[in-house]
Amino acid sequence: MTKGSRTGVLALHVAALALLAGAQFLLPAFHHGMLARIMVLAAYAVGYNVLLGYTGLMSLGHAMFFAAGMYGTGLTIHHLGFGVGAGFVTGAVSGLAAAALVGLITLRTTGPAFLIVTLMLAQAFYLATLYFNTLTGGDQGFILTGLRVDLAGLRLPLTQPAVKYNVALAVFAACLLASLWITRSPVGRVLAAVRENEERTRLLGYDTARYRLLAILVSGLLSGVAGSAYTLLFSYVGSTFAGILYSIYPLLWTLLGGAGTVLGPLVGTLLMTYIVDIASDFTTGYLFVVGAALVVMILWAPAGIVGGIRARWVAWLP
Amino acid sequence: MTPLLETRGLSKRFGGLEAVSSVDLRLDPGEVRALIGPNGAGKTTLVGLISGRLRPTAGEVRFGGRDITRLRPWERVALGIGYTFQVTSVYRKLSVHDNVAVAAQRGQLRTARDWIALDREAVAADVAATLARVGLAGRSSQRAGTLAYGHQRILEMAMVLALGPELLILDEPTQGLAGDEIEALCRLVRDMAGTATILLIEHNMAVVHDLASRVTVMDQGRIIAEGTPREIEANPEVQRVYLGG
Amino acid sequence: MSLGPHLLLALLEGTVGALTLALTALGLSLVFGVMRIVNVAHGEFFMLGAVVTWYVSTTTGSYLLALLAAPLIAGAGAVLADRLVLRRIGYDPESTIVATIGLLYILQQAVLTTYGPYARPVAPPIYFRVGFPWFGYSGYKLVVAGVAALLLATTWLALGRTRLGLYMRATQQDREIAQAFAVPVNRVYTVAFGVGSALAAVAGALVVPIQQAHYLMGLDALLLSFVVVILGGLGSLRGTLVAALLVGLSDGVVSVLFSPTLAKIVATLMVALVLAIRGRGLFGEAAA
Repeated sequence: MTKGSRTGVLALHVAALALLAGAQFLLPAFHHGMLARIMVLAAYAVGYNVLLGYTGLMSLGHAMFFAAGMYGTGLTIHHLGFGVGAGFVTGAVSGLAAAALVGLITLRTTGPAFLIVTLMLAQAFYLATLYFNTLTGGDQGFILTGLRVDLAGLRLPLTQPAVKYNVALAVFAACLLASLWITRSPVGRVLAAVRENEERTRLLGYDTARYRLLAILVSGLLSGVAGSAYTLLFSYVGSTFAGILYSIYPLLWTLLGGAGTVLGPLVGTLLMTYIVDIASDFTTGYLFVVGAALVVMILWAPAGIVGGIRARWVAWLP
Repeated sequence: MTPLLETRGLSKRFGGLEAVSSVDLRLDPGEVRALIGPNGAGKTTLVGLISGRLRPTAGEVRFGGRDITRLRPWERVALGIGYTFQVTSVYRKLSVHDNVAVAAQRGQLRTARDWIALDREAVAADVAATLARVGLAGRSSQRAGTLAYGHQRILEMAMVLALGPELLILDEPTQGLAGDEIEALCRLVRDMAGTATILLIEHNMAVVHDLASRVTVMDQGRIIAEGTPREIEANPEVQRVYLGG
Repeated sequence: MSLGPHLLLALLEGTVGALTLALTALGLSLVFGVMRIVNVAHGEFFMLGAVVTWYVSTTTGSYLLALLAAPLIAGAGAVLADRLVLRRIGYDPESTIVATIGLLYILQQAVLTTYGPYARPVAPPIYFRVGFPWFGYSGYKLVVAGVAALLLATTWLALGRTRLGLYMRATQQDREIAQAFAVPVNRVYTVAFGVGSALAAVAGALVVPIQQAHYLMGLDALLLSFVVVILGGLGSLRGTLVAALLVGLSDGVVSVLFSPTLAKIVATLMVALVLAIRGRGLFGEAAA
């Protein structure tokens, strides 16, 4: 890839972030809040994509990483009186730790076996959050209050829309740029190689198990960061986010947007969150659209939206 | 002179079957050795043991005088052993350039700093040089899966070449190729023999004559004969077992 | 109740659970074994069986009719899904997983919309109590155990003695060779998927007088079935039965003696570890 196109790629992604930044001045209140939520969830999807799109490993247990971030932050703030910063770091580290655990257990596991192991581990985690409900509040969860960031002498409550939006944007931007950097880096190339042909990669001198572990760690860290941010911005911790639906959501968002593309997760999260939201106004069975979307996609658009764009028109899109 | 590659009593047993039986092989630096024998003779298994894809039941493998029996495949590649698969194995969805780059960057990635600040220019130059050497320079941005089979085989050679190996193991390189593709491949192998020692599994005796300085014949897991191509063609045992004499 | 009788109660509960679990898991195992795919929507067919049973038994008053209708309807739905979706994606393992996750939500939410979010009971067709010295036990539960065992035996015989069973076993062993021997592999796949889902539906129908029909009941059935099939070995009938007995009994016992949540935690952790260690051979992947 030439230096010119590399700057072009960076420019495109910065432009997308600028668009998101600018949108906050144009959006009415409802969409303002929606977009803040979408950006945090899109960060989660970006994290998920590192494993699915870049490394070719499909997990059904990412809710464990997201929720680890959530509980790491929420529990320390609520029970131990941690501040926002310390809570955030704890959440991120929790996501990383959960990923390390899963990564070590699944070191030699791939394909459907990997899928089921991650599903089971996440389910065990979810059940544990229900079991220890005196600590976690179980399904009901608990609320955090008085979360704020002290920046440049200003007290910025995280519940204030403008603060919420920009913190969400910052978190998403960090995750997006991190994932862009990875794709373009030598590590990203190895991950793609592992995804395409693991045996050949081993015989080109790479310990592929180590790279898969690295991918899981990065994926888990980003997911944990997203979970932590979610708690801080929406002041809530609950078992729902450790449940299977929150493992299926990032899969759906990433596939819809285009696995293996950098902007795909954002597009997928944006689209699907709105679709689900609109559907929920019509029927209690609104998750039906999740099912329908998955089936339609797998039949007719397996490359997703951005993936399709890349294949048809813009081949240099990362 | 220290052999580049040496196996001592190397054996591999699968359940009740001894696929490789106490093989002592010696490759000197600069040799081009052909490994021939009927199907099921244990050639691919032997080569699997040398490359590290398989763990031996007994015996040892030594490379450059060093015992590498316990080393995993990627560690052996790092020492200088390259392997091309019997069924061409490239990254079909990646470009020709990226295929070779995966190999080319391996040599450059030694310290943690290399991962963050890899000299892309050096890798790109390496890739370009390798592609030029094998004659695929014009197809650099083409998707590997869209190449003709013969070109894919050559691409795989390029990938392994980019590792800068001392020993190249080629598993039936001309299989599935026709006439002038075989000629092109032989030219490439002769060129590679200038910088590396080569061990190739082959069924095509014309190619063996063309490329190999020495031939090792295997049957039922054992080496039954070794010598120049002429010598083993005249060998009655080899004729009986393999050449249909 | 002292420990002894408590344990007996737990064992009885466990046995009933184990046999119905065996039926459900058998369906999943059949699909795994013959088609080499994971049907993530399997639990929803179990749920469908329960819900259909509620509908039919409430409208017609006949439980037996419901018991017949449930597997037929579920089976038909499965065949439809196979033809419309699975066959089109060529039974590719990962695409099938995504597609069946989609199917899971489609079925689950369709039921939510029509049947509603409430759990509804179905009256058992037979009501009698078996009098143990320490407690009375529901006779219907014992009947369920018996019927489940009967169905398991019938399926075993069908797989071993009928031509269809032969086709399924052949396809499971080696799809390409089966095709070479003119086994209609695509049709076998459709039948396997239909039968597998129907087995789950029957289990759901049997269980609903005990458990009540609820649109979310498929998830637990799915997870337990996964546990059984993975521990018992892919497509191995005997393994599935043994594992179902083990898992069903321990789940029942731990649930009664401690807590159902804890039982599930233990089961899911167990299978995750087993699969992580033995996983490769189970799914037919080549060892590196």
